[in-house]
Amino acid sequence: MARATWGALCGVALVASGCAPGTMYHWNGYDDVLYHHYRNPQDREGFVESLRRMVLDADERGLRTPPGVAAELGYALYEEGRPQDAIPWFDRERQQWPESQLLMSKMIRNAQLRAGGKAGPAPATTTGPAGATEGIR
Amino acid sequence: MTRRLAGLVLVAALAGCGTVQDKDHSKLVAAQVRSVLIVPVMNRSVDVTAPDYFLSTVPVPVAERGYYVFPVNLVKRLLEDDGLADPGLVHAADPARLASIFGADAVLYVTIERWDAKWVLVSTSVTVEFSYVLWDGRIGETLWAERQSMNYTSGDGGGGLLGAIIGAAITKAAPNYMPLARRANGTALAFPGPGFPAGPFHPEHGRDWSPPQGAALASASPAQAPAAPSTAPSPPRVIPAAASGSPATPATVPAASSR
Repeated sequence: MARATWGALCGVALVASGCAPGTMYHWNGYDDVLYHHYRNPQDREGFVESLRRMVLDADERGLRTPPGVAAELGYALYEEGRPQDAIPWFDRERQQWPESQLLMSKMIRNAQLRAGGKAGPAPATTTGPAGATEGIR
Repeated sequence: MTRRLAGLVLVAALAGCGTVQDKDHSKLVAAQVRSVLIVPVMNRSVDVTAPDYFLSTVPVPVAERGYYVFPVNLVKRLLEDDGLADPGLVHAADPARLASIFGADAVLYVTIERWDAKWVLVSTSVTVEFSYVLWDGRIGETLWAERQSMNYTSGDGGGGLLGAIIGAAITKAAPNYMPLARRANGTALAFPGPGFPAGPFHPEHGRDWSPPQGAALASASPAQAPAAPSTAPSPPRVIPAAASGSPATPATVPAASSR
């Protein structure tokens, strides 16, 4: 009983710390980065930079990046008006996690549209920039 | 034969009386969920900042159970851009549709039931409570539900490492709820325990849970199907403060002098 409790506490502590040995992925403060982003939404550059650092750091050390992180980086770049830079990250998410195939393909298509269609009509605001949730209601 | 029958009756009786101490995960396991869409958090507390802050704590423990977790911020932003900025609207939307639009196997709905602090003299008492429902987007039913509350009262002293971490965050004038929220998630999703059995990306996948004997038969009975995604609310878990310990009563002190 005491052992189980201790084990649970350790597990929680590890998960809470985000990047401790024993987790499956190299989280590298993902939850803190999101939290900071929601606290300081105006610090957009910081958000992009933190996400980029997280992914590159994991790559350098040969550790597994968790699901979603590359896509978050891609979307942060997309929101910064850099759709061309976003595409490789959406593609990476899709490659690494086939579960994201449908969503990432939509994101890539939209990023391509936006990147190529600067002169053309702007994406319809009514369906959102990505259009991924088109006709949700 | 009679023994077997007796066993079945016992299983049925246990399932019937609603004690979910040993949760039956057969539905969740049978659904073979690979990917989980975590949608923005619904808020029943009065703290308007709580849902976004709390959302940041949910992906890590779910992914660590071995499931693909969709990028929560991307998902939230797409929904906002589509006019679903209010999580209430998202939670009210057709889950099967949500799942199919994002290509998700299942949707995780989290609701903040409580997120509050009380100040009494020199101590601060913080309570969080969350409910979690995992909905299968393909078969259209609840696969898993859990409710978790946590309370921490500063000034109890001690509490070990985790107590110290949470305590340090909470004794300030504006308490930081995050360590407590993370702990609630960790407990709700812990396995063995009430949480998710290992998903496809976890080394324990397919090995850490097997259905209880007779479960197949028991779950075949339509009367067994728990329709509502509600689990019995468990009493707030009071974080053990010290070995010497304060009495285990929930530390919600009458707020005579709360400020």
